Amino acid sequence: MKMSKIGLIISREYSSRVKKKSFILLTILGPLLMVGFIFVALYLGQQEEEKVNILIHDDTFTLTQFITYNKENPNKLVVYDTSGTKSYNDAIADFKKSEHYDLLVYLPENIVKTKKSTGIIQYKKPPTAKALTYITNTINKAIEKSTLQFYNIPIEDYDRLKSDVQFRTIDITTSEENNNLAKSAVGLVFGVIIYLFIFMYGVQVMKAVIEEKTNRIIEVLVSSVKPFQLMMGKIVGIMLVGLTQFTIWVLLCSISLMVLSVVAFPDMMDAANQADLMQNNIGSEVVMENDFADLVFRQINWPLMIGLFIFYFIGGYLLYGSLMAAIGAAVDSETDTQQFMIPVSMPLFFAYLIAVNIVGNPHGTTAFWCSEIPFTSPIVMLVRVAIGGEGMVWQVLLSMFLLIATFISTTWIAAKIYRVGILMYGKKPSYKELLKWIRFKG
Amino acid sequence: MEKPILFEAKEVTKNYANHTALNKLSLKIPEKSIFGLLGPNGAGKTSFIRIINQITAPDSGELFLQGKSLSRNHIKDIGYLPEERGLYKKMKIGEQAIYLAQLKGMDKKEALKKLKVWFEKFDILNWWNNTIEDLSKGMAQKIQFITTVVHKPKLLILDEPFSGFDPINTNLIKNEILSLKENGTTIILSTHNMNSVEEICDNIALLNNSNKVLEGSVENIKEKFSEKIWEVSFKGNSVSFANSVWGGWELLSQQQIDENTIKAKIKLSEKLLLNDFIRGILDNVEIIELNKVTPNMNDIFINVVKQSEKLQPNENE
Repeated sequence: MKMSKIGLIISREYSSRVKKKSFILLTILGPLLMVGFIFVALYLGQQEEEKVNILIHDDTFTLTQFITYNKENPNKLVVYDTSGTKSYNDAIADFKKSEHYDLLVYLPENIVKTKKSTGIIQYKKPPTAKALTYITNTINKAIEKSTLQFYNIPIEDYDRLKSDVQFRTIDITTSEENNNLAKSAVGLVFGVIIYLFIFMYGVQVMKAVIEEKTNRIIEVLVSSVKPFQLMMGKIVGIMLVGLTQFTIWVLLCSISLMVLSVVAFPDMMDAANQADLMQNNIGSEVVMENDFADLVFRQINWPLMIGLFIFYFIGGYLLYGSLMAAIGAAVDSETDTQQFMIPVSMPLFFAYLIAVNIVGNPHGTTAFWCSEIPFTSPIVMLVRVAIGGEGMVWQVLLSMFLLIATFISTTWIAAKIYRVGILMYGKKPSYKELLKWIRFKG
Repeated sequence: MEKPILFEAKEVTKNYANHTALNKLSLKIPEKSIFGLLGPNGAGKTSFIRIINQITAPDSGELFLQGKSLSRNHIKDIGYLPEERGLYKKMKIGEQAIYLAQLKGMDKKEALKKLKVWFEKFDILNWWNNTIEDLSKGMAQKIQFITTVVHKPKLLILDEPFSGFDPINTNLIKNEILSLKENGTTIILSTHNMNSVEEICDNIALLNNSNKVLEGSVENIKEKFSEKIWEVSFKGNSVSFANSVWGGWELLSQQQIDENTIKAKIKLSEKLLLNDFIRGILDNVEIIELNKVTPNMNDIFINVVKQSEKLQPNENE
C-alpha cells in the first residue's frame, strides 16, 4: 500500500530519530537513573542514623542529669558533661583539642529559670538540621523535667496534664488519608517531566525546521508536498518519538520499581507492617521513609496520572512545538533564535515556577487560573490533579478544551509563518514582518 | 509540423508586499523541447518557477499542463532542481533518494529499482549507504539530479543545473538533459550560462524587471538581432572603400591584415541592402571575403536588458 505524503514525512521524522544512539541511550538510561534515585532515597531513609558526640557545658549544674536520664536513643546522642569540673573556657579548649567531639553545647545558668534564654552550640562541622532539632527537643524536655522537680510536681501528674494530640486528615468520599505534601511531590515530579518533554521535543521541532532550511532541501520538499503537510508531519513525527520514549520509560520504571519493591524493600508492600508502623509513630524520619514508599507503590493513581500526562504532553507540545516550528522557519540559523525563543520559553518556565509555588495552596486563584490558561495548564494542572481535590473534573475538562482550541490556533498561525519563512533567507525578520507573513495569502 | 504545447502560462501576475515579481507573464512551451528561462538576478525567474511548482500561488493568471489547469495532481508530473539545493546530512543517500521519490508519488519498490539504475549509470551505486557528508560536491549534485528525474516527470525544471559541476560532469549532465528531451521530456532551463543556452535550448524567454522582454526560438532571435553587421576583407585603399558608397552604413572598425589587405566591420542601415553596398564597392576595391557577424546570446541578453531598462525606468527600486 502506498503511504500518504504526510505519513511518509511522519515516518521519516520518527524513524530517523528513534534510530539515533542518543535517543536509545536516554530512553534506557532515563528510567534507570530515576529508579536509581528512588532507590538511593529509600535506602538513605532507612540507613540514616547519625551518631553525634556532644560535649555539654552546663552552667545550671542540674540539667545534664535529666538529659542522660531521659536519653531516648543512646546511639544518636552521646553526652559528655564537663560542668562542675571545668570552666567553660576549659571546655572550649577541650573541644578544640579533641577529635572525639562533634559539638559543644553551652547551657547558660539562667536557662531553667527564664526558659527563654539562648544556649550556644559551637561546631567544627555544622550540625545537621535533624541533630539540631533533636538537641533542642532534648534540652527543652530536660528543662521541663528540671522545672517539675523544682516545683516538686510528680512526673505522673505532668504526664496527665500534657497533651500530644495529632490529626489525621481523611477524604470523606474516598476515605483516603490525605497526604498533600507527598502527593504534591509526585505532582512536581510529573510537572518537571512534562516541562522537560514539552521543551525538549519542541526544540527538536525547531531544530528540524532549521536543518531543512539551512541545508536547502526545503525547496525540493515543498515542490512535492504542501508546507502545512511538511510542518505537521514533522511535528507529529517528533511527538510520536516523545510518546515512544515516555512509554518505554513508564514500562521500564514500573518493571524496575516492581523488582525493587520485591528485592530491596519486601516489607514495604506488606500492608500489615505498614499499619503497624503508622501506629507506633516514633521518629519522624521513619514516617517519611514509609510515606515515600507507600506513595510510590500504592497512593498514586498511576493510570490517571499517565493518561493525563499523555494528554497534556500532546496538547502542550502541539502548542509550543508549532510555535517553535514557526521560529525555526523565521530564522536562518540556531544562533538567530534567541530573540524569538525568549517569549516562547518564558511562559513554559513560568508555568514550572507556578507549579512549584501552588503546592501549598493547590486550589487557590492562581492555581486555578494557571491550570486553565493553555500556556501554563499542561504543567500546573498535572500538579493539581496529583494533589487531588473536590470538583476537579469540570476544571480538567475545561482546561483540556481550552488547550485544544489554543493549539489549533497556534498551529494555524505557525503554518502561516512557516509557509513564508522557509523560503526566506537573509535578514532576520522583525515581529512586524512576522505579522505581515501571517496575513499573506496563497 | 508544430509541436503540441505542453505548458502554458496566461497573464501570470505575482505581487509581493512592496514589489511586483511577475507582471502578466504569458508563454507557451512546446512538448519535447528545452526552454531557456533567462534574465538577470531578481527578474522574476524564481518566482515563476515556484508558481509552476505550486510552492506559491499567482495573484492572477492561469497555468496549464497538457491543456489542463495546473493542480496538485500535477506534482508527480513535474521535476524540480532548485538553484539552492541540498540533501539531509545525516541520512543515507539511498534512503533519502527513495524518500524524495516517494514524495513525488512513486511507490517504494519502483523507486528502489529505478534509483539503482540511475545510480549505476552515474557510477555512484557504491555510495548508496553513505551519508552526504562522505561525498564530494559533484557527487551530491549527481544525486540531486537523479532525485529530480527519477519519477519521469513530463516537465523538468532545472535552475542553474550546471553550477558546481566540473567540465566532465557538466558534459554528462548536458547529455542526460538532451537524452531526456529525446525521450519526451519537456525541460525548462533557467541559467545565466549563455553558452549552454545556445547549445541546448530550442526556445527562450528573457525576463527583466518582472516583464517578459523577449521570446522566441534561439535561431529566430539570433536572426532578429543580427543587425546587418558584416565583416568585409578587401584589397585596395581604405579611403576609396569608405567613399565608394554614400550614406546608409557605418564603419565599426577596420584592421590592416597585410600590406594591401584590410578587414573592415560594417553595419548597414535598415534601408541599405547588402547588394547595393557590394555594388558600390565592387569598382573600388577587390573583395576577398564577406562574412555575416551574428551576435551571441550573451550580447543579445545584455543588449535587450539594457534597452528594456531604458524603456521602463526600474520600478523595483
